[in-house]
Amino acid sequence: MRVALTLVTLLLAALSAGALSVGAQAPPIRIGFASAMSGPAAITGEGVRWGATLAVEEINAKGGIMGRKLEASFADNKATPGEAVSAVRKLADVDQVDVIIGQTHSGACLGAMPVVKELGVPMVIEACSHPKIRELSGKGGNEWTFRVALDDEIMAYTFARYMARQGVKSSSVLAMNNDFGRGAAGAYEAAFKKAGVTLVSTEFFDPGQPDYRPVLTRLKRANPETILGVILASDGAPFMRQFRELGLTQKVFSRGSLASAEFLHQVRDNPKIGDGVVEAGYWVVGLDPDWDKKWTERYKVPPRIHGSLAAITLKWAVVPAIEIALKKHGKADRQTIRAALKEVDVKDSPLGPIKFDDHHQAWINMILIEMRDGQLRILEKLQTSPALLN
Amino acid sequence: MYAMVAAGLALMLGVARLINFAHGEFFMLGAYAFWLGYSELGLPYPVAALLAPAVMVVFGVAYQRTVIRAILPRSWHVQLIATLATSIVLTNLAIIVLGTQPKEVPTALSSRILDVGGFRVAWQRLLVLVSSLIIFWGLHRFVARTRTGRAMRAMSQNREACAVVGVDVQRVTMVTFALSSALAALAAALVSPLFNIFPDMGTALTLKAFAAVVAGGFGYVNGAIAASFLIGLTEALAGSYVSYAYKDAIAFLIMIAVLLWRPQGLFGRRIGI
Repeated sequence: MRVALTLVTLLLAALSAGALSVGAQAPPIRIGFASAMSGPAAITGEGVRWGATLAVEEINAKGGIMGRKLEASFADNKATPGEAVSAVRKLADVDQVDVIIGQTHSGACLGAMPVVKELGVPMVIEACSHPKIRELSGKGGNEWTFRVALDDEIMAYTFARYMARQGVKSSSVLAMNNDFGRGAAGAYEAAFKKAGVTLVSTEFFDPGQPDYRPVLTRLKRANPETILGVILASDGAPFMRQFRELGLTQKVFSRGSLASAEFLHQVRDNPKIGDGVVEAGYWVVGLDPDWDKKWTERYKVPPRIHGSLAAITLKWAVVPAIEIALKKHGKADRQTIRAALKEVDVKDSPLGPIKFDDHHQAWINMILIEMRDGQLRILEKLQTSPALLN
Repeated sequence: MYAMVAAGLALMLGVARLINFAHGEFFMLGAYAFWLGYSELGLPYPVAALLAPAVMVVFGVAYQRTVIRAILPRSWHVQLIATLATSIVLTNLAIIVLGTQPKEVPTALSSRILDVGGFRVAWQRLLVLVSSLIIFWGLHRFVARTRTGRAMRAMSQNREACAVVGVDVQRVTMVTFALSSALAALAAALVSPLFNIFPDMGTALTLKAFAAVVAGGFGYVNGAIAASFLIGLTEALAGSYVSYAYKDAIAFLIMIAVLLWRPQGLFGRRIGI
């Protein structure tokens, strides 16, 4: 009887140990992606969904991360701070994700930051460029948010200096009437002053506007030497068509995604419409030709910036962090991933080096892109550093 | 654009006593129907521009026979929720089925510029203007001279009396929805070559068109058309001379001022189309 009892106990112990070991290997690592999946900015969320799906499939096809598969969940922030809160709660509480990548839009990012801190889930920001995010993250602030994307203060100083080097004396700013546009407009106001470029006027527009003629008339009257547009490709196509229609001759500089494959796809009937536009950014088609090919084959449209940034953030910031967490702690939960993100040191991502500083900001490369004859050309690739802000 | 959409909205309000908050989405669907004919099927511009209203006539009739017929006898709360729900469903269906990538439908006229002494305008805009005037003239003649048009006017004054004297109110309502849908689609086919087509394009338009209908005198078509031009002009002037970011707010402030001055609307002496 005693022998039988011992045997049963041993058998049960063996079974539960087996179950535990299977359990430790089997559960996937859950990655949440938050972006605007509906509403006027839904094109960004669709891109994020596509990019994330492609990247997760790619990683899982190679066996996952140290044997653990990835599982993607998505949430809609509608590009607004309020909805971003719901998106984070859905990902953290319902989908039980281990890490969030998002929120694409600055307003949504700023709205989500206090909630990720409250819930204790790390969020790696792929695209929001509002300067305040850097101030609020990391040392003395929100320990749960990390940002791969460059912010507009970092880019504004570099871009304003570039414009001054090109002999630009004055410029007007035309920016989207949201946190991204207003944050960028503020950054360029300061950067122009520092670089000796006169800011003639600042105009804002609501994304999705059909008619830019009134604001173009204002710009024509203000008569700046150049125009800096903080504008995305979806608004950029009608804007540039009406810019040409009204016969404006100012050189256009841009921030957003005006000089992009998305824009060129939209104006493919007249690709020269964007000739001469110089854009400051950190991603462009061509940085990773394999990715471009996979995207185009799968989705039949050119790679979109936000989807590509979400995929890069996953592959070159979050995956290395998960690897570190698994190697060091044997687990990849929210706490260990957050700790591991601080140790990520990737030298050769398509965006350049990814290593988070005290404010959890990665100092990736900044690129200047010129659009001409329907082609995009990288004019300069610049290394960034905190020294740029001095 | 505002005027044609507002005219359709005013027709629906006048005849059916119902505010169709999905009307902007009719404009959006009309634009996609035009894109399908022009860009995807490669039809010539005039053919594609006529295909869009033809498709939307069918859609308008289907909408009237399903959603509208069910909610017309119900309270205005039900009508409001049902048409708003239709608007949201149509927008999200467009996102799912047609995607979020904006569609561009440039024509030969949209990139050809007329330059008169420094005043530059795309020929497509002139086409929009001339076509709109012809369409409004045709609409006016239809409502004033035809038997169905006269029935629509009569229904806008007293629906019950029309039913008593033998007017087929269901048929007239159906024609009204078909006509309003066709107007929205025609507007879309005319202006789409100048802008982008995307799933949300109708949302703000409904509000502007509704504002024009209110300012023009609840359901009075000519008033809605005049108020639309006023709103468009106010927006353009506010955007050009005051602030582009707040042009909508300025236009709506002026509308509020108009309603404070004339609560019945600019031309609203009576309810009628």
